[in-house]
Amino acid sequence: MAIRFEQVNFTYGAGTTLSQDVLHDINVNMPTGEITAIIGQTGSGKSTLIQHINGLLKPTTGQVLIDDFKLTSGTKEKQLIQLRQKVGIVFQFPENQLFANTVIEDVMYGPLNFGMTKAAAKIAAEQALTRIGVSENLWSKSPFDLSGGQMRRVAMAGTLASDPSVIVLDEPAAGLDPRGQAELLALVLELKKMGKTVVFISHQMEHVVTVADQVIVMHEGRIVAQEAPKVLFNRDLSWFQDLMLDLPKAGQFAEKMKAAGLILPRRPLNLQDLASLINKGAQHE
Amino acid sequence: MTKAIKINNLKYSYDSDQNLFDDFNLDIETGEWVALVGHNGSGKSTLAKLILGLIAATGGTISVFDDILSPETVYRIREQIGMVFQNPDNQFVGATVADDVAFGLENKQVASIEMPRLIEEALTIVDMQAFKDREPHMLSGGQKQRVALASVLALKPKIIILDEATAMLDPAGRQMVMATLTSLRERFGKALTLITITHDMDEAALADRVVVINDGQLILDGTPHQVFSQQTMLRDSGLELPFSGELASQLHNHPEKYLDERELIQWLSDLSK
Repeated sequence: MAIRFEQVNFTYGAGTTLSQDVLHDINVNMPTGEITAIIGQTGSGKSTLIQHINGLLKPTTGQVLIDDFKLTSGTKEKQLIQLRQKVGIVFQFPENQLFANTVIEDVMYGPLNFGMTKAAAKIAAEQALTRIGVSENLWSKSPFDLSGGQMRRVAMAGTLASDPSVIVLDEPAAGLDPRGQAELLALVLELKKMGKTVVFISHQMEHVVTVADQVIVMHEGRIVAQEAPKVLFNRDLSWFQDLMLDLPKAGQFAEKMKAAGLILPRRPLNLQDLASLINKGAQHE
Repeated sequence: MTKAIKINNLKYSYDSDQNLFDDFNLDIETGEWVALVGHNGSGKSTLAKLILGLIAATGGTISVFDDILSPETVYRIREQIGMVFQNPDNQFVGATVADDVAFGLENKQVASIEMPRLIEEALTIVDMQAFKDREPHMLSGGQKQRVALASVLALKPKIIILDEATAMLDPAGRQMVMATLTSLRERFGKALTLITITHDMDEAALADRVVVINDGQLILDGTPHQVFSQQTMLRDSGLELPFSGELASQLHNHPEKYLDERELIQWLSDLSK
């Protein structure tokens, strides 16, 4: 059981004069219980791809299998309810979507929509808020009185409260300060521990290296790589330059050292590794 | 020399039981580029709103070029300050890039015969003149923020405040905006005071001066090199150093002071000889 894209093509405005091909022949797997990162330049098709996981978009041709659910161009809106219960998407800057009078009401909205009783929805909301670290004294406040980082967490709790088995996050750490980012990565790892399948889009290669089990790289609507971060980030520097992608900062720094004649035995992918390689002594050319 | 901004004993609270600013003081010199840094919720954006008179302080004074902020002076003061916000999608009104820049000029009742030249000039400064007939929503995030900057520049402000203007951009967009700020600096020199509000330390490193705010307190103030040499205080207030500083702190043999990336590589190179 997993998420599987099979020969998926997607065209915006298919059949009209304005039609625009966005995804081309996507064949990709996102294994259950693992963390998959999706990277690629702005406009490479990342957001379009993830919207196929809960049926916000349907493939123009091909199919997406989400466990036993089959999504095709012919899937009816009504059938999508069960898919959306299984797959929760947290969009970019989700704090912009908060709307209720209190934090707890905002988080209860999803569970109520999926048919939970008010009492059950309240319990689910409280559990989600607790798990995500929103302290109880904020639950009856207006979400608009919270700080940016707190609002982000409330919005994420809103998705978690419905207990989806797949959680899709579009740049969850964007705009957070360093502490907020570290907390967010810890949360992603905790979701995995709970048995959830996590898919996230990121521009921060440090985050990808830290938490992802596999990385999907997109370029102009196609998948150009799907492999473990360690394998991916050891590709040639020129490959990254061609795709206008960054190495993790530690790798970038090592490349700059190399240009200055300081050679490390291998490419480090995080700060600790870079520091320990330098501590062992860089070789001068 | 006249201070661009002078904040004296500022007091402000969100609600009655919690003071955010309590006797806060800060002077910004004319022509300085100051980075205001702090974690989410540290009070840095609130400070920008107080300077613009979007919210009112409960005590103390704020002066902009010796004009003390009050209900009488607020409009005059706002004319001197341009502001660029975080979300590039929330600040467009025009159907084309040029229309958007024209909007601010129309509000200022600039003669329409003057406008094309002013629009062209502003778009040229941010290197977006080739996009003047495009629809703003078709641009990338970095391009949108440069157009927002052009709209502000067309009004010829003496101070520009950028409130986390790169936070929603991808790395390429962020680089683009930072390069534009650096070029503004070269073009206008002391005629423009720049205030960048951020928690991105690579962005803060570009400024002449870094001011660190934590829970409404000014805790560090100095050149980027001076401030980044105070690693413990930065960590305690939820911030990090630029990458080179974080790296240096983990080396057995490390430089005494903060070095930027280029300096650190040079230092490592000298060490290995």
